[in-house]
Amino acid sequence: MGLLGAAIGAGLAVIGAGLGIGKLAAAALEGSARQPEAAGNMRTTMIIAAALIEGVAFFAIIVCMLFLFIQSPNA
Amino acid sequence: MSKEENIHSENNNESSENAGQKINELLSGLGDHYEFNYSTFHFDILPYIFYDDGQFHFFKNKNSLEQSGLYTFEHHHPVSTADHSAPDLDLSITNLVAFQFIGAILLIVGFINVARKYKKDSKKAPSGFQNMIESLVLFVKEEVVRPNLDEKTTNKLLPYFLTLFFFILILNLLGMIPGGHAATGSLGLPLALAIIAFFVINIVAMAQSGIGHWFHHLLGGAPVFLAPLMIPLEIMGMFVKPFALTVRLFANMVAGHVVLYILIGLIFLFGVAFSPILIGFSVFIFFLEILVAFLQAYIFTMLTVIFVSLAIGESHEEVHSH
Repeated sequence: MGLLGAAIGAGLAVIGAGLGIGKLAAAALEGSARQPEAAGNMRTTMIIAAALIEGVAFFAIIVCMLFLFIQSPNA
Repeated sequence: MSKEENIHSENNNESSENAGQKINELLSGLGDHYEFNYSTFHFDILPYIFYDDGQFHFFKNKNSLEQSGLYTFEHHHPVSTADHSAPDLDLSITNLVAFQFIGAILLIVGFINVARKYKKDSKKAPSGFQNMIESLVLFVKEEVVRPNLDEKTTNKLLPYFLTLFFFILILNLLGMIPGGHAATGSLGLPLALAIIAFFVINIVAMAQSGIGHWFHHLLGGAPVFLAPLMIPLEIMGMFVKPFALTVRLFANMVAGHVVLYILIGLIFLFGVAFSPILIGFSVFIFFLEILVAFLQAYIFTMLTVIFVSLAIGESHEEVHSH
């Protein structure tokens, strides 16, 4: 049961992060298509925002992973 | 995460019940160990240093530790033979510590060589290794630090940011060579770097605009009557920033290596026939990991720069508004 919970939790975290980074990349692409001269600036900002989203997703995955290791101490 | 389990060489069993165990054995090679390991080979050449009951104990390697009779191993953890308790403080040179030393030595040697080249003839066009270092240093200086900080702070803090960038980069890349371990893939090293970043962020902010304004910035620009709400929030934010830096670097490095190990481990589950596909995948992940090694070094440095500029910027605005 705990293993299932950890797996589902990791999956949910990845869905959230995927949606977030997808929206971010779409917006950045649209922005740089409208204004190609600002593409460099936009890329930097995008990478930072992506890192922040990724960081939150990793929090969730780490929590799931810890749960996994607590559930199965011999793993 | 580090289960400290040795990988035993049991190559004769490929049944699927054992595949999960095999993957776990592979994964246990990731963490902190008291020895170098490459695949199933172990090189017991790292020293043990314990601080126990008010005195230091030094041992050359595992053999001399066990021969001394003071300590023994229980579940791959060293414990005292007298009362079966772990040593008070374990300062042993584990493999991750060893890789940090290797990384630091590589950086020192490389940078001293490059610096000597510039000293000899600064007009000559850069060549070879010097070229690469110059482009990376310029990248950090012009793309990361300068756009976010003013001229004086840039010149003052550039050595710190360069050190941060190159140290994380070399440790990440050392993790990519076979038999290597990414020291950034343990919680300790990113935490230490983030603690340094915490002090840099706050001390620079205090030095730039005075302690009074630094305390004022705890209000976050809100009116005074919101202080009971804002001050705890801002103090929490102060500690969350380095913590997020830690977890990001640690989790990124661990995640990549875990995926690599699991892809290799799946060969045990699916059989040898699938190995070309799985090895193809793991080569792809490997190249992705090289990208991630650069990206994480960049992001750690970039976010530290941004936090410093935020800490200074906020208090500067207040200086102007009063």
